[in-house]
Amino acid sequence: MILALENISQRKNGQQILSDVNLSVSRGEFFVLMGPTGCGKTTLLRIAGLLDKPFSGRVKYQSEPIPHRGKERLQARRRMVTVFQRPVLFRGSVFSNVEWGLRIRGIPEDEINRKVSQVLEMVDLVEYGDRDSCTLSGGELQRVALARALVIEPSILILDEPTTSLDPNLRFNLLRRLKDLHSQTGITFTMATHDFTDALSLGTAGAVMRNGRIEQMGTIDEIFYRPSTPFMASFVGMKNVFPAEFNADGAIVEELIIRHTSNKRGHGFLAIPPEAIVVSREATVTSERNHFTGIITSVERTGSIFSISVDCGNLLIISSVTRSALSDLDLTEGQDVYISFKASAVHVF
Amino acid sequence: MDQLLEGFRIALDMIISGDPVVFSIAFRTLMISVTATVIAALIFIPVGCLIHFNRFRGKRFLVSIIQTLFSVPTVLVGMLVFLLISRAGPLGSLGMLFSPGAIVLGEVLLIAPIIAGLTISALSGMGRDISDTALSLGAGQLQMILKVLSESRYMVLTAVLMGFGRAVSEIGVAIIVGGNISGYTRTLTTAIALGVGKGETAASIALGMILLALAMIVSVTVNTLQHSEKR
Amino acid sequence: MIRYIFSGILIFALLSTACGGQSEPSAEPAMEQTTEIAEDAGNESVPPRASASRLRVATTTSLYDTGLWSYLEPMFEEEYGVELDVLYAGTGKALEWGRRGDVDVITVHSRSREEQFVQEGYGLERVTFAYNYFLIVGSPDDPAGLEGMTPEDAFTTLMQNGEEIFVSRGDDSGTHGKEKAIWTVAGYDYEDVRTSGDWYVEGGSGMGPTLVMADEMSAYTLSDMGTFIAYRSDLDLEPVVDQGDILLNVYSVLEVTSSRNPEMAANLREFLTSETVQELIGNYGVDEYGIQLFTPCAGLDM
Repeated sequence: MILALENISQRKNGQQILSDVNLSVSRGEFFVLMGPTGCGKTTLLRIAGLLDKPFSGRVKYQSEPIPHRGKERLQARRRMVTVFQRPVLFRGSVFSNVEWGLRIRGIPEDEINRKVSQVLEMVDLVEYGDRDSCTLSGGELQRVALARALVIEPSILILDEPTTSLDPNLRFNLLRRLKDLHSQTGITFTMATHDFTDALSLGTAGAVMRNGRIEQMGTIDEIFYRPSTPFMASFVGMKNVFPAEFNADGAIVEELIIRHTSNKRGHGFLAIPPEAIVVSREATVTSERNHFTGIITSVERTGSIFSISVDCGNLLIISSVTRSALSDLDLTEGQDVYISFKASAVHVF
Repeated sequence: MDQLLEGFRIALDMIISGDPVVFSIAFRTLMISVTATVIAALIFIPVGCLIHFNRFRGKRFLVSIIQTLFSVPTVLVGMLVFLLISRAGPLGSLGMLFSPGAIVLGEVLLIAPIIAGLTISALSGMGRDISDTALSLGAGQLQMILKVLSESRYMVLTAVLMGFGRAVSEIGVAIIVGGNISGYTRTLTTAIALGVGKGETAASIALGMILLALAMIVSVTVNTLQHSEKR
Repeated sequence: MIRYIFSGILIFALLSTACGGQSEPSAEPAMEQTTEIAEDAGNESVPPRASASRLRVATTTSLYDTGLWSYLEPMFEEEYGVELDVLYAGTGKALEWGRRGDVDVITVHSRSREEQFVQEGYGLERVTFAYNYFLIVGSPDDPAGLEGMTPEDAFTTLMQNGEEIFVSRGDDSGTHGKEKAIWTVAGYDYEDVRTSGDWYVEGGSGMGPTLVMADEMSAYTLSDMGTFIAYRSDLDLEPVVDQGDILLNVYSVLEVTSSRNPEMAANLREFLTSETVQELIGNYGVDEYGIQLFTPCAGLDM
């Protein structure tokens, strides 16, 4: 565990921003902190980056609690660095910006020169050393900020929504660059984002926040494919999330019995991925263990996929089919259909 | 009107020919005001930093008090310093009254709110971005403060210049605690006040033109700085 | 930590400026006295002195505005090797400085207040050194017709008319004290006069500026003779009343008891009452104005 936040609460102007947050990041991870805007990601990162002190709780660096003041705190802070959502550069040249973190650490001149050139090469800004920082474009600015942070060879690099202010093209480049830098340097990355694609393409582990609390923490797969709460299920885009009563027969949802592979009992939730649901005109014998009949209530186009809502008694189940399947089966509103899905496709939580 | 034109003509002559009296007064005024400004800056820029970078009860109130004191009447400061350093006052043993040092002390107090207050404004104008960036890059408190100061240097320099402008053009302090002693504590403003009372138009105009020139240099520099601040 | 640095800077600043008694050329912004000042500026080579070797004399504005002190100052400085700081103020303020111990010597002109000052123990002794007379001056056409009257009658007339403007010093000076004394003799309560109407203007400045103000307003005012004569060429004012015992104006020198430089203060008293300087005072301004400004009277009881 390189960084651990324990029972962190934070208040600002009498408002509770964070409540009892526990979080741990392992060495070498690319940790993504997700959650809707305003859920407390930035506040949490400021505490993690030792820029703010929490109202209660403590921050541990390499299992050592960090005091609220004094030399030890500064030493710990010097092991991590934050790149803000909208980075600001200091007056002066790109070089003078990048070298600053080394200067304040009293690094010798020749070492500074060597490290700065090295890091400028890493972010493809070799020619930019003498450029005035105020003449840079948005993407260049972001890269200088990144170089300025990386040059001090931190143990932890904290990134607060680095892609929000960039256009799609630059965003793509930055994501690829971050991925490369992470594998090249071995630095532990901690990045806040509200974008799934960022999280999915970069993250190795992560957490989702909601109203100042951690909703779920785990590997990226766990978060996206095994959400632990209805909020998480809808947050990661799951459809067909239903409350259910679990017993020995299966899960009872609105009088339907849905079979699953979990051994859960009592009250809980289940989710059926729309792409796992097969829609057909006739009752077919398949290996799927869940079979229901229903009426199509709507057919909606969502991108290249069609989303079909099927009313199965009291339950509205959504399935997604391809365009060709739609026309092959000639599915239209008001039609009686059969739907089926595997017990193993049902996610229980 | 003729008297005025004649006054201007003689005044210009005095300035061009480098009249020793006029220039010794101008030089003395400059020495006193520059000394006061440097001392005030050395003390009150750090004070402004301390106030800005610390959180404490009544901070907002303190800042608004400081801003109110921007326009404290000079004679009030003069009176205060007089009572302080007069032989009968608490600092009387220093024997400072009626000396250039007394004027310097008064002007330091006079421009302290301007320098501290405008330093606070300059630092606030920077927002938290710079200080956060500096801290996250590993700066200690002092390194962070120095960085923010350096980033807002034009505005801070403006604060210092505004202070100098007020010091050089004030009269209340100079006349009350300086005493307008010829060759010792006579400044541009007190000399003008005396000269006008005596009907010495030309010398007063010459001194006034120098004072105006100083004020204009300050104002132009401030404008230039603020322009370069905006970039 | 930072706090200590600050107090260090402050103390350093106070020390360096308090000791900064740099001698600069004496600078008198007087256009007609340029030559005199140029000589004065020659003293530049006098080495810087600590404040102990400075002597402060507070003088009534009339002695300052006539230029008498600018005339005597370099002589005294040369003779005794001291920097003389001449501070001008009304008699009231000059005596107050003395009470607070901020000046070493006082030269003023208000007998009763000077005697009180000595009696209270603030001054050593009242020593007279020159006198002249006060004048009631006004515009040459004398709209109130004061010419030939006694000072008391002239004031009574002004009060009764309430039309012609009278500019009072209004600054608690010796001249102001004399004016009040005349009102009292004329049978008025000064407070009543002061508040009786727009005709009575309180200038609140020294003698010179008050004369300039009276000139601008074509008004009457009470002036000492010396200042009036020194300013006369620039003014359109004439003396209208110049006779009467009450107009006697005596200047005296007082050493301040709490002076930190009592020997030098005594030197200044001796200097002013010495035969040579008495003669110089008697002759001061005669060449320039063709009239005697001050009559020497060292040590006389008057």
